Amino acid sequence: MKRHFREVSIAVALGLLLLFLAVAAPTFYQPQPLLSLLAREAPALVVACGIALVIIGREIDISVGSQFSVCSVCAGLLASMHWPPALVLTASIAVGALMGTVNGALVAGLRLPSIVVTLATMVTWREGLRWLRQGVWVDLPDGVQWFGLSQAAGQWTLILLALLVLVMMALAMKHLSAGRFVYAVGSDAEAARLAGVRPQLITFLTFVWMGALVGLAAMMNVTQSPQVDPNSGTGLELKVIAAAVVGGVAISGGRGNLWGVFVGLLLLACVSPALTHLHIEAYWEKAIQGAIILLAVVADGLRSRKEKR
Amino acid sequence: MPLPANNRQSGGWKAILFRHETVLLLVLALEWFYFNAVGPRFGSLDNMYDILRHSVEIGLLALVMTPIILTGGIDLSVGSLLGLCAILFGKLCRDAGLSPAMAGVCTLGIGALAGGLNATLITSLRLPPLIVTLGTYSLFRGLAEAITRGADTFTNFPASFLFWGQERWLGVPAQAPVFVAVAAGVWLLVHRTTFGRSFRAIGFSPEGARYAGLPVERRLALVYVLAGIVAALAAILYTARLGQARADAGTGYELYAITAVVLGGTSIFGGVGSVPGTLLGVAAVAVLHNGLVHARQPREVAGMLTGALLLLALAGSVVPKMLTARRVRRQTSPSNLQPTETA
Repeated sequence: MKRHFREVSIAVALGLLLLFLAVAAPTFYQPQPLLSLLAREAPALVVACGIALVIIGREIDISVGSQFSVCSVCAGLLASMHWPPALVLTASIAVGALMGTVNGALVAGLRLPSIVVTLATMVTWREGLRWLRQGVWVDLPDGVQWFGLSQAAGQWTLILLALLVLVMMALAMKHLSAGRFVYAVGSDAEAARLAGVRPQLITFLTFVWMGALVGLAAMMNVTQSPQVDPNSGTGLELKVIAAAVVGGVAISGGRGNLWGVFVGLLLLACVSPALTHLHIEAYWEKAIQGAIILLAVVADGLRSRKEKR
Repeated sequence: MPLPANNRQSGGWKAILFRHETVLLLVLALEWFYFNAVGPRFGSLDNMYDILRHSVEIGLLALVMTPIILTGGIDLSVGSLLGLCAILFGKLCRDAGLSPAMAGVCTLGIGALAGGLNATLITSLRLPPLIVTLGTYSLFRGLAEAITRGADTFTNFPASFLFWGQERWLGVPAQAPVFVAVAAGVWLLVHRTTFGRSFRAIGFSPEGARYAGLPVERRLALVYVLAGIVAALAAILYTARLGQARADAGTGYELYAITAVVLGGTSIFGGVGSVPGTLLGVAAVAVLHNGLVHARQPREVAGMLTGALLLLALAGSVVPKMLTARRVRRQTSPSNLQPTETA
């Protein structure tokens, strides 16, 4: 109980929010809108799993939103050239992994701080995309949306795919040596090096993996609508970092798990529909997201101060 | 293995040639000649003033970002705070009926409060500045959007106020004296007082600075509050220049400010840096943006190049150090026994 205090308290907060919605806004629980909400959040869950891995390894990646947009547009363009879906998915993942490689090489190879590197790549990718595409939406041919399935089936596929990524990664983080290495590097890179781990290699690989996950998530997002919005990734980095921090991943590295991130993302995802149902204007969403991040880090700070005493 | 410290003392002209400021001056000169050749109107005095006008806000943010990065911190919230202060200033003028001068004073107070929020969270709970200011980055921009409901803009400012952004005073743009005053203030603070020394000490080693008896928390609080106040000042000048205040004012300015500081030779790890370097960095970014417009390139190219420039500057500051470290390691490796240092 004490070890999982954070995860449990977030889950309780989510439970309370859901209970409150059940009383104040029962319309929230209609099956179809709820399913749409979960399907919409499925790509964010995949990205959140990746960002949690990066943060546990004591780095950060704020370029995921721009990577997401670039991958979405690439996937959309390839799909409109009638490439088979499997190939489009592979290409999207490859493009994401390539951008992750750039970040990883700069951070791990040159030992530059990840916040500044990813700040620079965020702007470079985003402005580059705007320059090349001038913000044009990509029209998708028939059969791409929902993988050619019915809407409900497509949404279930996406949700299950995201859950599959979550479960696989959560288990790998706990039971595979590769997962433990990330924790080791995140809590003390020098100690990890003396124990025979190569910290730079681990850091590099987390960034590549992050990019690949963004590619997968972008494809999952593309299949949800008949057009590709080139700005679809805007603000995604904040959302997933918030989910990770709220879910108990320590920004100083080495602590946290993916189940907490999952609950944290669900909590954040429920904020915006909750606002709508409570007739509060949607413009408050960003401010509330910022306040939630601050609350979560303040809670962390207070707790670590208590532990020190 | 300690590196042979202080290479500034070692080679005379080489050290000067490879100093950040010299390289930056060279880059500036290159930009200058190129854009002069491409855009016929680029070199005119009017355009110089134009560049100055447009770079004042980012320049102010970069100036106050310098001491923050010197202490090893970072402030991602300055751009969002600029937006929040701009619309609050507009609201105070229009809805509360205050005169621009009164509203300006109130806005500076709000900026100090917002900077104080960052400072409190960072110093009292010892939270990392990165995540705190990421949270306030979202919070401040979100508040600005919520207050304006995403659409409200404030215009119709009196001409006496717009003077500060659009007119000339003694032949130079009216905001130039403000900028020079702030630059002189920050220069004095960083280079001519014990505060500046303590910023560097904290940047090198916060624990060491604490053991040396420096009031680390108070010094850190000072730089973040200062950033809040100057961001508010930048918001007022921004509003005066454009004649309107919107919730998206200053989006992405934090990136340009950080780029200018890092380009100017301030180490992102803290401890090393200079205000003149930052000013040169601001000039390099501003000339690039303005020149690309004159060269008829789309605006996105300027953004892209700024990102690439930041990466180049970072790599440029790290690679020589890595090479030196490697050479030292080779010289002192057991296979190559040379009594270079005795412990």
